[in-house]
Amino acid sequence: MELQKKLDHIFKQIEKPGRYIGGEVNSIKKNIENIETRMAFAFPDLYEIGMSYLGMQILYNTVNKRENLYCERVFAPAPDMESLMKKEGVPLFTLETKTPLKDMDMVGFTLQYEMSFTTVLNMLDLAHIPLLSKERGEEFPIIAAGGPCAFNPEPLADFMDMFLIGDGEELLPEVLELYAQCKKENLSKREFLERACKLEGVYVPSFYDFEYNNNGTIKSLCKLNENAPEYVLRNIIPETESLDFPVKPVIPMVEAVHDRAVVETFRGCTRGCRFCQAGMIYRPVRERSKDKIIELAKAQIEATGNDELSLLSLSTSDYSDFHDLTLELMDYCKSNNVSLSLPSLRIDKFAFEVLNKIQEYKKSGLTYAPEAGTQRLRDVINKGVTEEDIYTSVEQAIELGWRHIKLYFMIGLPTETEEDLDGIAQIAKNIIDINKKYNGPKGGRFRLTVSVSNFVPKADTPFQWERQNTPEEFEAKHRYLEQRLKIKGVTFNYHDSYTSVCEAVFARGDRRTGKALLKAHQLGCRLDGWSEHFYPEKWKEAFKSSGILPEFYAYRERQEDEILPWEHIRCGVSKKFLMSEKHKAYKGATTSDCRYGCVGCGINRRVDCKLEGIYG
Amino acid sequence: MAERYVVRFSKNGYAKYTSHLDLLRFFKRAFRKSGIQLRYSQGFNPHPKLGFAQPLSLGYSSCCELLEFETDKKYETEEIYELLKNEMPDGLDLQWCKGIDGEIKFLAASCESAEYSVTIPYVLSESDLKKCIDGYLAQEEITAMKRQKKDKKMVAVDIKRMIRKLEGKASEHGIKLSMLLDCGSFSNCSPELVIASFCSFAQIDIPRYEMEVERREINFYNNLQF
Ligand code: SF4
Repeated sequence: MELQKKLDHIFKQIEKPGRYIGGEVNSIKKNIENIETRMAFAFPDLYEIGMSYLGMQILYNTVNKRENLYCERVFAPAPDMESLMKKEGVPLFTLETKTPLKDMDMVGFTLQYEMSFTTVLNMLDLAHIPLLSKERGEEFPIIAAGGPCAFNPEPLADFMDMFLIGDGEELLPEVLELYAQCKKENLSKREFLERACKLEGVYVPSFYDFEYNNNGTIKSLCKLNENAPEYVLRNIIPETESLDFPVKPVIPMVEAVHDRAVVETFRGCTRGCRFCQAGMIYRPVRERSKDKIIELAKAQIEATGNDELSLLSLSTSDYSDFHDLTLELMDYCKSNNVSLSLPSLRIDKFAFEVLNKIQEYKKSGLTYAPEAGTQRLRDVINKGVTEEDIYTSVEQAIELGWRHIKLYFMIGLPTETEEDLDGIAQIAKNIIDINKKYNGPKGGRFRLTVSVSNFVPKADTPFQWERQNTPEEFEAKHRYLEQRLKIKGVTFNYHDSYTSVCEAVFARGDRRTGKALLKAHQLGCRLDGWSEHFYPEKWKEAFKSSGILPEFYAYRERQEDEILPWEHIRCGVSKKFLMSEKHKAYKGATTSDCRYGCVGCGINRRVDCKLEGIYG
Repeated sequence: MAERYVVRFSKNGYAKYTSHLDLLRFFKRAFRKSGIQLRYSQGFNPHPKLGFAQPLSLGYSSCCELLEFETDKKYETEEIYELLKNEMPDGLDLQWCKGIDGEIKFLAASCESAEYSVTIPYVLSESDLKKCIDGYLAQEEITAMKRQKKDKKMVAVDIKRMIRKLEGKASEHGIKLSMLLDCGSFSNCSPELVIASFCSFAQIDIPRYEMEVERREINFYNNLQF
């Protein structure tokens, strides 16, 4: 039976078939005959999630600008679709042309979170592509991956032919062009990979292997192919001003999580929170000019008909010309009936002026992320927020009529004690008291949400050597906080602990942890980021039967002289800097934002830091 | 004074898997993008004045969908047609735009009946098919099972008076039913009820997902025509 007919049968039996049909406004159709390299950009989660991700829109646009290349999209099918695809024998296909992934030249996964790793495997499986790199012959596409989780690529090393580390706007088209060239020369996959690994940012895992000590730690990294570099430098694009940016993004036909125009204002962050991987791996800060941002915003609104505009960066208010940018955008948005949303805004005086004019905010509530309950611990993690800042700002918010405030904290941070947990409750109490001053002893309709997430140590951060709490420790802390936060008007949320364990194992896992992924996949794990599809029991079994112990990977403190599984992937921030930050953390010494002056993270050995010292 | 318009479009191919709400969202955006300024409702939560004459079930194709909307400013219908035509994604094709007289009720409130064509890949001879249809229509009551909105329970309903016409054609690929059914807020009969009850009467044992349904026409009270 032909594919279209099969799909017609399937689509009538599933929920939201619109997820799989493609053909959206601004999606790209090309004549396959003129194409030299075809790639499928694979997002290992559902359509609604993947379509909200700007990185995909950026790369889709960049690759498709080239006439000889074609980038199509594919997302993870929901379970109902998955089971019918299996039943009808329909292999995973691209949205644009409904071509099976196995007929592509390359399939490139984006790795945004560790909990999507089994979905990557499941998608390969649904595409009828062998999971292990070494089991794929010349007839199968090159399987590649990039994104933040590629900075510790080892858990997926056995499954991937190559990783693309760092900025993808230049690297990805370059790799695809190289592929076209190699195809013309009739070269093998291996020959292609040998050439590709010379490009800055390309890591070919099969060209390396590890030796281990008796205690399980890494003894050495050995290079198996003489063409491969000793270590892989992350690809860094020195400035983003002239980079292509999609002003005609694909418009999701099924409502996506975010359905709005987005402009990336800058990449990178200078604050240096010690738990934050994004704050390290995207350095240095590279800003777009204000005029460019406004130009892109207008062009996108005009080309899409969006009625919401949002800015994207790691911390909105840190944009160097934030004041003027915001005022100009507000003007534009107001006169065009577009609502402006400013995520992760630092709530200061200016923010209030702005927020007061943007009505929607009062509905959604104000968000603060002190991350830790005491000043001592906030100094340890280098989160430059004081309680005074928060109280002043909260007081002002309540006075201006906000009725909902959200607080974000992390538990299980290095050096944490009971006092720090008490601190979380204390902050909540104080905010409730502030509210009573304004809204009377009963507090009115005021709500405070306290959300607590579990600290997961990440590669390339000053806390990369830290131990993670065990699920039992996390749960005890949750119970403790639950007691302490039994305060009228306070809602307490926390994350599942076993999810955090899985995250921790793969965030810092070595090549051997791939076995656990494979096992978990065989047991049916996928879409683990969705609590309704997450099965801790299967994961426990996967760890047990593959011999991958969370005790070793997650709960163990790593020695400073240990070879870490991601040491050959160089993000540009030096190990020396990370280590000195760790030591400062233990002394409770803070490190200032390098806009006040360089603090020596090492990235300036590779590129200029334009914002260094701009605060004087 | 509000200006009223209606556009007609078809829905084919994979676009038939776009849900009613997603399609409405699509049109709102297409209007914003085209620069045609819709009229907004008054009140606390203003929303643009546009709506379909009749929702179309997910998975149905159609050659006759109608979208009604209002603007503050007067536009040439030709201009609206040209502007909107360019915004249509794969499978949605705009056919025309016409003005609506201010006296006329909302189209959604004026629907009387709709015509559907149902393709069933089940081979029957012309005469057997005719027998089935005649027998089906000759029943004292035509009972179909319908899920109640309020408690989600299945109840039996008699749809006999809602079927205005039912005809069939047989070919070597299967049968094609053409049906004219009550449609609208006064009396409404989903083609699903006819399909299910007819197939069970005629003992046609084909899974629903192998059948295709197309809406062919929507008819209005007072013989309103466009
Ligand atoms: S090198 Fe210095 S200025 Fe540049 S990002 Fe690192 S700390 Fe900041």
